[in-house]
Amino acid sequence: MEEFENSNLLDIEEFDEEKMKAESADLLELRFLTKENAEFKRTKGGFVSLTYADKTYDRVNVYRTFPVSEPDAYISIREADEKAREIGVVEHLDKLEKDQAEMLREQLKLRYFTPEITKVIDIKTEYGYGYFNVVTNFGACRFTIHNGGGAVVSLTDTRIMITDLDGNRFEIPDITKLSAGERKKLDLFI
Amino acid sequence: MVMIMKLLYELKPEQYAVLAPETQEDVWYCVPVDLKFDHKVWQAEESFVKGEEYLVVTETRILVLSGTEILYEKALAECSEIKCETMVGCGIVTALAEGKRECIVRFSMRHIERVAYVARGADLLAKGDREKVVSHEFEKYCLKCGRALPGTSRCPKCDSKNVMIKKFVGLCGGYQWKLLAISCMMILNSGISILMPYVQRQFIDTKLVDKSGTIADVLKFVGLMLSMTAVLITVNILRNWWCVSLGSLMSMDLRRKLYHKIQVLSMSFINKRKPGELMNRVSGDTRQIRRFMEEVFGGMLSTLFTMIATLVIMISMNARMTLYSTMLIGVVAVLTRVFWKFIHKIFHMQWVKDDKLRSGLQDVISGMRVVKAFGREEYEVTKFKALTRDFCRVQKKNETFWALFYPVLTFIMGIGSYIAIYFGGIDVLEGKMTVGSLTQFVTYTGYLYGPLGWMTHLPRSIMQMITSLNRIYDVLDEEPAIKDGENSREIEIQGDIRFEDVTFGYNSYEPVLEHVDLDVKKGEMIGLVGASGTGKSTMINLIMRLYDVDRGRITVDGMDIKEIKQENYHAQLGVVLQETFLFSGTILNNIRFANPTATLEEVIRAAKAANAHDFICKTPDGYNTYVGERGFNLSGGERQRIAIARAILNNPRLLILDEATSALDTESEYLIQQALDRLTEGRTTFAIAHRLSTLRNADRLVVIDGHRIAEIGTHDELLEKKGMYYGLVTAQLQMAKMETK
Repeated sequence: MEEFENSNLLDIEEFDEEKMKAESADLLELRFLTKENAEFKRTKGGFVSLTYADKTYDRVNVYRTFPVSEPDAYISIREADEKAREIGVVEHLDKLEKDQAEMLREQLKLRYFTPEITKVIDIKTEYGYGYFNVVTNFGACRFTIHNGGGAVVSLTDTRIMITDLDGNRFEIPDITKLSAGERKKLDLFI
Repeated sequence: MVMIMKLLYELKPEQYAVLAPETQEDVWYCVPVDLKFDHKVWQAEESFVKGEEYLVVTETRILVLSGTEILYEKALAECSEIKCETMVGCGIVTALAEGKRECIVRFSMRHIERVAYVARGADLLAKGDREKVVSHEFEKYCLKCGRALPGTSRCPKCDSKNVMIKKFVGLCGGYQWKLLAISCMMILNSGISILMPYVQRQFIDTKLVDKSGTIADVLKFVGLMLSMTAVLITVNILRNWWCVSLGSLMSMDLRRKLYHKIQVLSMSFINKRKPGELMNRVSGDTRQIRRFMEEVFGGMLSTLFTMIATLVIMISMNARMTLYSTMLIGVVAVLTRVFWKFIHKIFHMQWVKDDKLRSGLQDVISGMRVVKAFGREEYEVTKFKALTRDFCRVQKKNETFWALFYPVLTFIMGIGSYIAIYFGGIDVLEGKMTVGSLTQFVTYTGYLYGPLGWMTHLPRSIMQMITSLNRIYDVLDEEPAIKDGENSREIEIQGDIRFEDVTFGYNSYEPVLEHVDLDVKKGEMIGLVGASGTGKSTMINLIMRLYDVDRGRITVDGMDIKEIKQENYHAQLGVVLQETFLFSGTILNNIRFANPTATLEEVIRAAKAANAHDFICKTPDGYNTYVGERGFNLSGGERQRIAIARAILNNPRLLILDEATSALDTESEYLIQQALDRLTEGRTTFAIAHRLSTLRNADRLVVIDGHRIAEIGTHDELLEKKGMYYGLVTAQLQMAKMETK
């Protein structure tokens, strides 16, 4: 290290400690985006832009922070690059203007794919795999899971999440709403 | 059919007609997508696509095609930065068009890998680069039958069943004597089993029924039966013994072949699979073969043989009665199958509950400090109580079911005998049949029904064996990606290394290095600098030739690295890695790893040069100290110095140091730095270090960023430039300052 210090090419004072401190303080702050201080706009390509604190972001990404328990609350708005820094948080979609909330809902629809299973037609097991034939709110669907080993997770007593071989996640919001026959087919996995 | 990931799906002629009406341009990529995206309003819809939808990339355009309708179309010349973005449970392809990013297509995780390759291919085309992206990854599902592939490149069900049976026969080929002996025992077993009821019949008919026999006759009969039983038991013992030893030998053989193959295969193959999975193939799948040989193979043939022979004899004895008594075989087979399936299901559920209970217990016990610290004992107790109650309920239910229904099943299995006795009894009364024949017949009926339960498991056992065999041969049949060509030569390396327009990625859709040029002179020390994940280690992997470059070439002394014999090349490399891996064995063996013939004097000289001799002498067993897992506890610095000694001993012309000094305390770092300085002298060296001070002796520094060489030059040159390197150095100095404050 001494060699560097002695090197007169390097001016240590140039290192901007203030900037670094500001950056880490920035990470600490929880900024709320409200209908007063933020404005979202649809872009031509299917995304939204944001104007907030005198700054306009051409495209922002919209993340859920509690996708399972509170899908509409604490929506994190992030920059669209690889670092995905947080610009701010929307406390609840209902607290925004209707059209603004609608825009964000569209983005959430784009980002999240968790079909809900409404009907179990058939489940076949064969050599360590389970082959599901179901109807979801996205339409009829077939998928395959690994038997045993965490493919089916109970979120609550009545709500389950199934992850298939590809990493797609399917949800059954209320298992008691399925018929007795359907539940019997599922029994082996729960 | 080997299932390599498909990037060009066939379209129908009318679809081609829609795609290329005048120009007849080639379709480069075509892959299915499955989620609806409405391009009119640019919105995702919560629906799967109707019918089939494809993302198509032609020479000049990118399109979304649904049936014969084009949903989206754009000239590649108008797009840039085409990329696949991973969302949650799905992905989208986006492109920059007229300065705005637009969403082209949306799809679930099922298609994401495929689409990622195609997005990369389209991006290259848009840049005017006509390289075709190919995937070496395997499909997850059989393209023919849609079944999930168990980590193999072929479908065990529809493709290679016959091939695998042939392979199995081939595997048995090496053990023909043992197999012959086992077959003899099987035939003997069947023979005796069939003979015994016949002997009984003779005895009953000639001695018992007309009461003509004497005590001596009875004794003779008992003796005969006893000795036959003794022979039968001996035969079975021998058969099982040989089956077990055959199974062990075969699995050992396979395990050895697998291990050898895994050593030979290139890193790209190893990386494609999880380490656990490969371990599973070496231990788990070979165990499956062994168990098949032990538990199924021996019984399978002799049972089948016995059943057929029994049936033939029964028909010859009384065809009508055979028909009656075998009438229910189908029904019983179905019933037992259903019964076993159900048993399997309920006990599987019990197992799952048991597992939950155990993991819950483990969770709480290992986290006891936290539970107590937060005062959550009561909560945990209630939670656990619920789990045990649940388990208890299921267990009680299952055991009751088992106790009730197993006897019923046994009764069902014996149902054929009742029929035989009924019809046979009438025949005996009418004088059409002797009592002895009836006894013989009833015993034979039992032979037919008895193994039914076991036989319903047979298809499953065979399929399991075939799947395991498939997974084993999947590795054994794999050709190493990096091979010595016919013209590869052995050379004495001087140490000039050149990168000529090198492009490389572990997946071809994700290049790690792009168009890298670098010229390194013999004896030069190059420091590689950059944020993590930028490709420093990748460059080193390429120099070590653990992977071959995708494009461009690397030359050593002007010769393409691919033309040098691998073993010869690797023998002249010295490598010290961040994670010092010491094998179980003595320090001596570890130092001699690369050069087992080195003399003891050479070993000591190497250890001295690595500043390791001193601490080695201080251990009770010196160079014979056992290290590795469960061995003598060495500190990180000590292990590192042994690794350096290992590298020095080899006297390499080319030296690679990957984070060789990270995570060490200052004193040992100093010792290691000294050792490294000695080691790098006069050798071409590539060094990666996070702590830039360790690179102070480097002749040139190479800063890697954004898949390319961002800056290159000496320490002073780069500082003067005030670029990335300058930023890194100032940041580290500041950190050092803070620490000393």
